[in-house]
Amino acid sequence: MPDWLTAQTFVSVHVFFIMVHVILLTVAYLIYVERKAASYIQDRVGPNRVGFDFGLPWLKPLRGMLGLGQPLADGMKFLLKEDYAPDRVDKKLFTLAPMVMIVPALIGFAIIPWGGTIVLPDLDLPLIGTMEGGPIVIAGLHVNVGVIYLISVATLSVYGVTLGGWASNNKYSFLGGLRCTAQMISYEIPLGLCILAALLLVGSFLPEEIIGYQRDHGWLIFAQPLAAIIFFIALLAESNRIPFDNAEAEQELVGGYHTEYSSMRFALFFLAEYAHMITGCAFFALLFLGGYELLPFVSVFPAVAEGSILAVLGIAALKFAVFFGKVLLLVCFMILIRWSIPRLRYDQVMMMGWQAVIPISLVLVVLTSTMVYLGLGGVVPMFIANAILAVVIVALVPVLPRTRTNQRLPLYGSRFCPVTGSTVQTGPTDPLAREDRPLQGTVTA
Amino acid sequence: MLHPLTTLASQPNVALDQYLPLAVIIVGAVGFAVANIVLTKIIGPSRRGANKGMSYESGMNPVGTARKRFNVRFYLIAMVFLVFDVEIIFLYPWATTFPNLDPANPDAGIWLFRIFFFLFTTIVAYVYGFRKGVFNFD
Repeated sequence: MPDWLTAQTFVSVHVFFIMVHVILLTVAYLIYVERKAASYIQDRVGPNRVGFDFGLPWLKPLRGMLGLGQPLADGMKFLLKEDYAPDRVDKKLFTLAPMVMIVPALIGFAIIPWGGTIVLPDLDLPLIGTMEGGPIVIAGLHVNVGVIYLISVATLSVYGVTLGGWASNNKYSFLGGLRCTAQMISYEIPLGLCILAALLLVGSFLPEEIIGYQRDHGWLIFAQPLAAIIFFIALLAESNRIPFDNAEAEQELVGGYHTEYSSMRFALFFLAEYAHMITGCAFFALLFLGGYELLPFVSVFPAVAEGSILAVLGIAALKFAVFFGKVLLLVCFMILIRWSIPRLRYDQVMMMGWQAVIPISLVLVVLTSTMVYLGLGGVVPMFIANAILAVVIVALVPVLPRTRTNQRLPLYGSRFCPVTGSTVQTGPTDPLAREDRPLQGTVTA
Repeated sequence: MLHPLTTLASQPNVALDQYLPLAVIIVGAVGFAVANIVLTKIIGPSRRGANKGMSYESGMNPVGTARKRFNVRFYLIAMVFLVFDVEIIFLYPWATTFPNLDPANPDAGIWLFRIFFFLFTTIVAYVYGFRKGVFNFD
């Protein structure tokens, strides 16, 4: 066996390639689940025709099947459609953009320790000889930078959005790409600060140690509930999900940065979006929901699986099932949000990001570091501190100065028109605009 | 005074061969992307036309190019993002070493104060941007 091929490398590469397939399959069926959920919420039936009969008479029993063959049919169709680039696009960048989008989405989840740490016995493998056993982590990549890798790789997909919008040479694409870039980089900051607030308690970058801390001290969602909420909001904004999907606001921007894309290039954008959702939810589960631990304050699985090869692989599979179950629940929650909440306006998204979420997460980091300094880094003091901060925020909201821009226009006859006799509060400050609008002061009749 | 932090920082064993799977992973991911695009180019049909080659702008004939000047606000966001992002990156190493310090260490307060000063400079930048109206979108 060659020197450079350690057990960790061997296992990592295999885990990664298994997980890529698992995640791509999950993505395909997530799209199906999303369509089904949407149709039930909107009182429709949704996809229910495509089974696995492929139109063949002797496979008739496989027809229908609740439309479970739909993802396969969609994938085939993406592959068979024309890969078209309009005349004015920048051909090179136009082809590059979906690749730049999909590569980070595929390699980002590599550090997630799906199966925890196992002690692998010595193995005799065909072709490569005896592999020396030892403790290894069931993850695609086990590096000392840990979560930093995930943050930095996931951020790279911003380039895909920017390039896609720019290369299309279409005004809608360009605006969509610009908006999306600005939104993604804005919500990167609260994302980073919330990870910081969690890491301040853990004191390590390594995913295994983050889970280990949560095994000993309870899940971080109890110690840092505010950070968890802000992290989830930022995740929604990062993966361009409703209520933050201004990049492809259909009423304003047609399809956003992928307006001009077709066939597999469009499918890669689509895949990347869903793969990002799964990566993000796995990150959330890792940081705040205890990773592969089943219960919040009780440890069910052994921290390090030891024993025969079957036993350790069994425990790793169980841990993976728990971890992936949490990820699927979170993704379903995202889907539920998508079909329940209307889209925010773009200026509302950005103002929420810069004027609310970022200051709150900054205060949270200061608060957490002070608590750690005072030796109050446990679950109960941190929960109380978070609760106090939440109360202070809610109490401060009415006191803060309010912006007058983009508020309701008190146009006479509109549904925003104030009640007769009440004083009109909002109005343009520009004197010229004031002349245009007679409705200022008190509403008479 | 540097002693506790430097010893903690030197603990993780930096071995480059742990990044070996990353090379395989990147090759796999790029291969996936390239293979898909090449496949659909080969399998799918290919027809061109004057109207088909037009940009889709809601069914209107496109006027001019999209390579135009755009709102300066996006530049401002990018600049403020840089300020914050660089700050956060500097905070990560501190966040992993600070909780591991001995609570009885008399220098812990100094380390905390230094980071607070570092955060304070960013907050000054934030307040300046706020007063300048960088975060107002209208």
